[in-house]
Amino acid sequence: MFHYDVFVNSLADLPEEKEVQLALRDLAAGTHKYCYKNVSALVSADQEKYEHKLQIRFGRGQVHEIPYSIKILNPVERIPERWL
Amino acid sequence: MVFKDNREFIEALEKAGELVTIEQEVDWDLEAGAIVRKVCEEKAPSPLMNKIKDYPGHRYLGAPLTSHRKLALAMGLDPDSSIPEIAAEYLKRTNRSPVEPVLIEKEQAPCKENIIIGPEADLFSLPGPMVHDGDGGRYLCTWHFVVTKDPDNGDVNWGMYRQMVYDHKTMTGPLLPFSDGGKVFHGKYKPRGEAMPFATVIGPDPLSAVAASAPSPIPETKFTGMLMEQPVELVKCETVDLEVPAHAEIVIEGEILPDVSLEEGPFGEYTGYRTSPRDLRTVYRVKAITYRNDPITTISNMGVPTDEGQLLRSFTLGLEMDKLLRNQGIPITGVYMLPESTHHLVVVGVKAIYTNIATQIAQAVFGSKLGPWFHMVLVVDDKTDIYNVDEIIHALCTRCHPINGIHVYQGVGTPLYPFLSAAERKKSVGPKVLFDCTFPLDWDPFSEVPSLVSFKNVYPKEIQDKVLNNWEKYGFKPR
Ligand SMILES: Cc1cc2nc3c(=O)[nH]c(=O)nc-3n(C[C@H](O)[C@H](O)[C@H](O)COP(=O)(O)O)c2cc1C
Repeated sequence: MFHYDVFVNSLADLPEEKEVQLALRDLAAGTHKYCYKNVSALVSADQEKYEHKLQIRFGRGQVHEIPYSIKILNPVERIPERWL
Repeated sequence: MVFKDNREFIEALEKAGELVTIEQEVDWDLEAGAIVRKVCEEKAPSPLMNKIKDYPGHRYLGAPLTSHRKLALAMGLDPDSSIPEIAAEYLKRTNRSPVEPVLIEKEQAPCKENIIIGPEADLFSLPGPMVHDGDGGRYLCTWHFVVTKDPDNGDVNWGMYRQMVYDHKTMTGPLLPFSDGGKVFHGKYKPRGEAMPFATVIGPDPLSAVAASAPSPIPETKFTGMLMEQPVELVKCETVDLEVPAHAEIVIEGEILPDVSLEEGPFGEYTGYRTSPRDLRTVYRVKAITYRNDPITTISNMGVPTDEGQLLRSFTLGLEMDKLLRNQGIPITGVYMLPESTHHLVVVGVKAIYTNIATQIAQAVFGSKLGPWFHMVLVVDDKTDIYNVDEIIHALCTRCHPINGIHVYQGVGTPLYPFLSAAERKKSVGPKVLFDCTFPLDWDPFSEVPSLVSFKNVYPKEIQDKVLNNWEKYGFKPR
């Protein structure tokens, strides 16, 4: 069971052990499934390293066979304040 | 018969054997999308799904206009009408004067049965389906339209531009700069740093949806009235200065933001591929949601033929081209765009009275507003039945000279063409090709032009009539 997934152009978009900004999709079952969350996070190709399992998809939806793990550090707001 | 809403149309679909009602629970997460996709590929009746997982009280209608039978019904015609009959009716209605819409009171408008404004207006309260596995998100808006207004002259536009649910309050989608809504947003609101008010109409009556996806220059509020042969009823929005069809199932109001873009896609597209990858696209921020009781969310599922994108866009693109060419005085006999071509191939019949007329036709249509959406023009003579695929293939393979008859041009394309390189797609490059399937006019008709050997061409009229009249007596099935 994955907790989140993320779309990338290539795996280079997911540098390990470095804080990255990602647009994740929440995969928890229920009416809010697939809601986007913008976060800063740490990711690892070692799927056991962090608490949450991360599925990776490429630009046209193709699933990367090997999942990563992810640690979410902070939420990130990308919509300018005046529209919120 | 004019359908004032989607529900009356559903009844007509049912009477014509074009509806399957599904009472068992259907999952919004892929199952509903898969049903609709299979319906498109099997050319099956439209599914009405009465029970959606997690969303009690909500319903889905899938594949509302995936066949000419359903289109004929939507226009109030006999479902068995032929394609030329439906086309003639469309041309008749849309060549008349525009029909102004009428504004009705909120109390009379079913789309106001439930009104949710402000923080409570949550996109996840609506059953946005996950249409295909691998889509970038839940596409709540696939058979719908987006209402916007020009800030300078007040011109209203309805355009069917897909929208994906991003979060509780946000949708994203491609508002292409050459679409009418896109021109106003990218050309006016965005440079001024202003948000563009929008209203998304989900589950409209069928002819409003046809108008919103048609490339007509006439404002869609009036164009719908022409198609309906009566005014479309509108009602004022709650939070934006716009009007929407009063009988729609669901309306989402809000603003399109000028200074931010967010991820959208990928999504299955009308070409039958996911071509344009995930990218940063236009952001719609939601202020209010209004809906009918037991609302019906409509779903179109883009993929290999035949979906609404192919069926309807082919129909309206072809017929708007017909008007354009006749307005230019070009002696065409008809235009037919093949849905199977994912609206990439258009066949034009012409009475070739001067040399190089095929080039004139191709350049006129490629250079028009319709040009970005297709890239193949096949010109045949007035004896060829443009609706008969056998005759078209025969004309292409026997009358088109591989060197003199095929002409390639550079033009404007969309980022959705599967055969373009990624770099070409980014630059809106759109290579075009003309197949001139007419014999050169300077060939001597007796000594040079080959003579077509077909039933209708090589037998005297009385023999043809005799054979046709005796067809069943000979023992053949009725024609
Ligand atoms: C089901 C469906 C989905 C469509 N999605 C989009 C889209 O996401 N973006 C777009 O620019 N056009 C899309 N189109 C095509 C437009 O609806 C079409 O170009 C229409 O003419 C737009 O109106 P306009 O001429 O007022 O821009 C879609 C058409 C259909 C039938």
